[in-house]
Amino acid sequence: MHKTTVYRLGFAVLLLVSQFTNAAERVDYLRDIKPVLTERCYACHGALQQQGGLRLDTVSLMKQGGDRGPAIVAGKSSESILIDHLLGKPGARRMPPKGEGEPLKPDEIARIRAWIDQGATGPADEKPEPDPRDHWAFKVPVRPPLPRLKNTAGIRNPIDAFLAREHENLGLRPQPEADRRVLLRRLYLDLIGLPPTLEEQQAFLADPSPRAYEKVVERLLSSKQYGERWGRHWMDIWRYSDWWGLGDEVRNSQKHIWHWRDWILDSLNADKGYDQMIREMLAADELYPTDTDRLRATGYLARQYFKFNRNTWLEEVVEHTSKAFLGLTMNCTKCHDHKYDPFSQEDFYRFRAFFEPYQVRTDMVPGISDYEKDGIPRVFDCNLDAPTYVFVRGDERQPRKSKSIKPGLPALLAPRGVSIQPVSLPAEAYYPGLRPHVVDTLASDLQNLHTAAQAQLAQARKQLAALEQASKVTAQNPVKQADPLLLKEDFARLLPDRWETREGKWTHSGGKLVQEQIGASRGVLRLRSPVPRDFQATLRFTPTGGQTWKSVGITFDAGPAGEVLVYLSAYAGGAKLQVAYKQQSGEYVYPPEATQPREVKLGVAQELTLRIRDRLLNVAVGGKHALAYHLPIARREGAVELITYDARAEFHSFELRSLPADAQLTPAGKGGSSTVQTVAQARAAVILAEKTLARLAGELASLKARAAADRARYQNPPASDAPQRIAEAVRAEREVAVLVAEEALARAELEANQAKITAAKQQLEIARKNRNAPGGEYTPIRGSLKTLESNLESEASRNKPFPTTSTGRRSALAQWLTAADNPLTARVAVNHIWARHFGQPLVATVFDFGRKGAAPTHPELLDWLAVELRENNWSMKHLHRLIVTSAAYRRSSSTRGATDNLARDPENRYLWRMNAQRMQSEVIRDSLLHLAGNLDLTMGGPSIPITQESRRRSLYFVHSHNDQHKFLSIFDNANVLDCYRRAESIIPQQALALSNSRQTQEAAEQIARRLLGQAGLTTDEAFIRAAFETVLATTPTEAEQKACREALAEWRKAMGKTTPPAANGGQLTEIDVPLGRALVLALLNHNDFVTIR
Amino acid sequence: MLRDCSCRGMHRRAFLADLGMGFTGLALGALLAQEGIVRGGSVTGHVPPDGKPHFPPKAKSVIWLFMNGGVSHLESFDPKPMLNKYAGKTISETPYKDVQDPEKLKLARVVVVNDANGQQRNRLYPLQVGFKKRGKAGIEISDWFPHIGECSEDLAVIRSMYTTDDNHGAQTQFHSGRHMLDGEFPTLGAWVHYGLGTLNKNLPQFISMGRREYWNAKDGHYLGPQHDAVPLRIDPNNPLDFGKPERPTSRDEQRIGFDLVDRLNQLRAVEYPDDPALTARIRSYELAFRMQTSIPDILNFSQETEETRKLYGLDEAPTREFGMQLLAARRLVERGVRFIQIQHGAGGAGVWDAHGGLRTNHANNARAVDKPIAGLLKDLKRLGLLKETIVLFATEFGRTPGSQGSDGRDHHIYGFSVWMAGGGIKGGIVHGATDEIGFHAEEHRHYVTDIHATILHQLGLDSRRLEIPGRKRLDIDHGKVITQILA
Repeated sequence: MHKTTVYRLGFAVLLLVSQFTNAAERVDYLRDIKPVLTERCYACHGALQQQGGLRLDTVSLMKQGGDRGPAIVAGKSSESILIDHLLGKPGARRMPPKGEGEPLKPDEIARIRAWIDQGATGPADEKPEPDPRDHWAFKVPVRPPLPRLKNTAGIRNPIDAFLAREHENLGLRPQPEADRRVLLRRLYLDLIGLPPTLEEQQAFLADPSPRAYEKVVERLLSSKQYGERWGRHWMDIWRYSDWWGLGDEVRNSQKHIWHWRDWILDSLNADKGYDQMIREMLAADELYPTDTDRLRATGYLARQYFKFNRNTWLEEVVEHTSKAFLGLTMNCTKCHDHKYDPFSQEDFYRFRAFFEPYQVRTDMVPGISDYEKDGIPRVFDCNLDAPTYVFVRGDERQPRKSKSIKPGLPALLAPRGVSIQPVSLPAEAYYPGLRPHVVDTLASDLQNLHTAAQAQLAQARKQLAALEQASKVTAQNPVKQADPLLLKEDFARLLPDRWETREGKWTHSGGKLVQEQIGASRGVLRLRSPVPRDFQATLRFTPTGGQTWKSVGITFDAGPAGEVLVYLSAYAGGAKLQVAYKQQSGEYVYPPEATQPREVKLGVAQELTLRIRDRLLNVAVGGKHALAYHLPIARREGAVELITYDARAEFHSFELRSLPADAQLTPAGKGGSSTVQTVAQARAAVILAEKTLARLAGELASLKARAAADRARYQNPPASDAPQRIAEAVRAEREVAVLVAEEALARAELEANQAKITAAKQQLEIARKNRNAPGGEYTPIRGSLKTLESNLESEASRNKPFPTTSTGRRSALAQWLTAADNPLTARVAVNHIWARHFGQPLVATVFDFGRKGAAPTHPELLDWLAVELRENNWSMKHLHRLIVTSAAYRRSSSTRGATDNLARDPENRYLWRMNAQRMQSEVIRDSLLHLAGNLDLTMGGPSIPITQESRRRSLYFVHSHNDQHKFLSIFDNANVLDCYRRAESIIPQQALALSNSRQTQEAAEQIARRLLGQAGLTTDEAFIRAAFETVLATTPTEAEQKACREALAEWRKAMGKTTPPAANGGQLTEIDVPLGRALVLALLNHNDFVTIR
Repeated sequence: MLRDCSCRGMHRRAFLADLGMGFTGLALGALLAQEGIVRGGSVTGHVPPDGKPHFPPKAKSVIWLFMNGGVSHLESFDPKPMLNKYAGKTISETPYKDVQDPEKLKLARVVVVNDANGQQRNRLYPLQVGFKKRGKAGIEISDWFPHIGECSEDLAVIRSMYTTDDNHGAQTQFHSGRHMLDGEFPTLGAWVHYGLGTLNKNLPQFISMGRREYWNAKDGHYLGPQHDAVPLRIDPNNPLDFGKPERPTSRDEQRIGFDLVDRLNQLRAVEYPDDPALTARIRSYELAFRMQTSIPDILNFSQETEETRKLYGLDEAPTREFGMQLLAARRLVERGVRFIQIQHGAGGAGVWDAHGGLRTNHANNARAVDKPIAGLLKDLKRLGLLKETIVLFATEFGRTPGSQGSDGRDHHIYGFSVWMAGGGIKGGIVHGATDEIGFHAEEHRHYVTDIHATILHQLGLDSRRLEIPGRKRLDIDHGKVITQILA
């Protein structure tokens, strides 16, 4: 088979070659050959690698050849082993090797052949591929000297100097500074993500100071909203995602991951250095093991959690850590050596090894012990010896176990290697139970439960007293026999004038009435005669089959408007007694307090008795009281029916009586029903409440004893009384076990469940015996909950103690990343920051600074800024200040009058103007709320569910794989999987969202109301002007004024308004709210509302 | 994410030509290519599609019916009598034990390690339904799909599909061609939307119906969000997100507003000439305005006869919901919409996911879709639309020949069935085959992207010419055209 293919391939090649020779077509090396070799061969036979000692990146290197001699022999393709390898001839391994690439196409091989036969000529000055070590991004940036300029007019800072030199060279004439209002709006939206209000605009326009602009810059940079705006940018890059999963189960990211978001915001607002932020995100648990504030930073790694596949999880950590901080595509090396950059496949796994030991846990926060409610998700080194293996071709099913991979970095980037020192952790870090707030929180929880239990006991005592009193009364007035029978039916025959068969398959044979229809449908037998309002009914029946539900019972008040159902279900998933009712809406309600698990078996006869007085329903099963329930809906006129649902059943008898006025019904408890009905039960309930109270007191004592033992034991050196404290803690905990068993027994006795009583007695005996056994260990106070490592982890391994040391791997990685001689970190950060200010990065491939990535448009500027960042304590605010005060930043984004520039640099690579940007989704929504005066500026805290109405800033909404805010997602909110740059789409759905959503319409109305509340805005013209200034921060041109006036006139007509007569010679009319709203809404839909000009 | 589809280089002349043509004059020619743009990275040398097919097409539109959860091929379109013969035996006790050759089972690429589902199920479970030769073509189809059976002469049933994700990520995989762990990739509908121009400027060209909460709700991915499907709910009161003003506004009042927005945007071009974003936004407002009426119009079923409504099962509760979606699909196709993606039975992992109670589950689900689908085929045919419309019936995977629990079947990726009809697809044929117990696709094996390739081919598109620089596609992404089923 394989041979045939080769043969065919050879044949095709021959054909093509002959075509070439016939046509005597000249093959051009640079046009026809080199691109193919570059794409297909250089990765292994070029500057990066020289497999077999061979390089193919110049003609002379090909002729020179490798270990097996020359690759090509000029003029003789048949003697050139290159061809043999391309064809995979016998004895020559096919190139590229199987699994690393498809063979070259026959016509490509034919051309190479023809080129060799034509003499294998190439350019005389052909240079080999550059050495990867010479790649610009792999060399440490040094501060370039500032350029000398002929003309320094308009230069505000070094940024401008670098750009001006290029402008001079290219003959570009930069656009003038933007209009002051446009500039102010740009600055506000850029730095805090909110537009300036009309008042803020006016204040700025009125400020005569030459430093008016700089003053605004300082104010905005020091406002809290700066952290929210730029925090969101970094959340994009660092892949912020709230948790998602099924129900409560976390599958990706972590609950309460918002603590990491708040850390980002706090850090930015405090102007924490970028280097410090990286160190804290990657390794706060090693560097600051007891600093809860900083531990929040490791949310960066906690977010990567993926329950189902640890490899996927770690691969994402490698991919995105290298992309976000280093601008490297390490992910390409998961399966094979990098095709462009000097990284081997093993480098991928070395990088992974930094992260191999880490896992995630949630530390308790003061005051809240329930990890579902709050807690700080953070990482820690859990499996210190977890091995890392190379996966053959990236396939996790094929680990190469012969070699365990140690953490390390690509040699070219870290020539000195990386030094890893294990970190010995303080006890509070690996034993969070020692943190005082943990014990306090647990104690206060127990105290609260104790208080509640005291109240419960008081309540139980009161109920006992009441029932004892009632029983005395009952004894004096014995229950009168119920009223005489209204109906006694034994179903000897099915009397059609008594019963109406409405649904189902009712048959009568052998003296038995049977309903036979099963599946998702009802059987209904309706009693034709009317029934008293308060009645007592008893049904005897035997359920015999059904697919799933197997329900049989009685309905009353049945009619078109509703019904009440009482039935027994033999459902295998949980047999029960159920009371249900139909609401006016037509929906059925199955109240949990009217549900009672019960044994209902097929083939076993049942007796169901209902007693109803007004809305109080008593149900007895087998003659014993089972449930008291107060119907939450009003009684109605209606029929009584015998019903089945997905049940086959035999019906034995049915009796109906009216309910005597003095019949004693059991009152429904607080939740509608109660299990306590008799004096004996009430006594048992009191005992249970006492036992609960005792157990809680015991737990409190145990907690205190264990905390004391912990303190003694983990002191350095351990306290001398530690053994005694430990013994006390053990004893206290065993005492709790006894109390727990006593409580369980009391509960079983209340339920009168014999099986449970027996079990509880046994348990109690064991606990008592155990109480005085010597030695033993107490349960540690955890103070932290480890997240399941994966769907395979057992509870036991989940609860093993946290290690007392950390490997130090991640802190070593963080130190290298932030070292002064790291060539990439500062450049990558600067590029991200620049891209967000200017709408265009300096390096277009923001996550790939490797050799396949784009070259910087302004290499010297990039390096100057990188060094500037590094030398100013990595202060981002310093960089922002520098950028936004440059002349480049202040330019107009218009291309008007710049025909020459457009011809020379249509893409504005050289920044002769500013770039307009579309607002990000969050900025759009926040701006709407802000201009309407409705924005709630509360900072931080748990993420807001997307279903909830909120006036807070958009970054606080839950944002995850599963949950995306509808309005925000239409405007390209961040992709949680990877978002190094936001998309800026323009689609019709955006138009619909902006014109039709309640969000925009309400904002329009509120803005209009605010404007109308201002004096002097009564003319169309004045209103239009103010609306333009508020919404768009520009003044309208005459043409725009005219368009708006005409639209207002049309609206007036459409809304049926009469134009008041003109007064004062002007066109004085009265703008009202609907008109104002219509105009403002149109402006909110203006292109320049969602555009940062 | 870096989006590579750039229009930075949009031609200046084209831009100027659009200016001043007014709100209504803008449309036709200019709208043909795309209604939106995405800016981001810059690209050199790549020419985005011009909206025309690469070669003469056989079909104009696609109705993509996807059954969420995994339809049992064994109880729908691929009868295996040997399951009855060997019912209750383990596979190793039958002559077919080599189907469990570990090499063959390696096809599965596991996402959820040690999942309770997606396991080997060894004890053969008999067919839960009968089969008959149906319709003029006499194709064997189960008793749960009698109406589709009547249309057998129009169907090309493919019994030899396979996929690799043994969990429901295979839903995404069927649409994008990639395993979930590879990341997110454009779905077929997005590629079609990217490659072909509009046939009706009043409607979006890519529409999705049904709930898609289990798998990713986006389509465009690196092609950009303008290639996401526009979701359409069959709720005549609320067919489109933000489809009508949430506070009552008269049509006139709104029209004046849209006109004003248009006029102001045009005027802004004086201050900011040569701004492609501005042009794109002007266009997007025009389509948006029209969608407000065109979409509700689609859902005005009162324009259909009683007989047609019954044909789709609108008169009966079990078929009503799906029937309405399919009737809407026909009305969309009629008006030139290119790609309509309909999900049946979302919620959880998908309603067809019969790990237990397969008989009841499949009987009920088939009841919900059989008549509407047959109605769609018949209706398209009598209107002459079937010739130019491809209907696909698909699901993420089949179900195991062995039983799960007492009465279910587990996920099965090694062999399953789909069918296509119309749009130049040969009718009345069965293509490909699984082995005797329906385990492995044996004859004419097809990965899911072969379906993509076939559909693109019928639409006149060459997926290699749609490729975007910097977004390397693999051979498997392109798939192979199933030439044997082409008419």
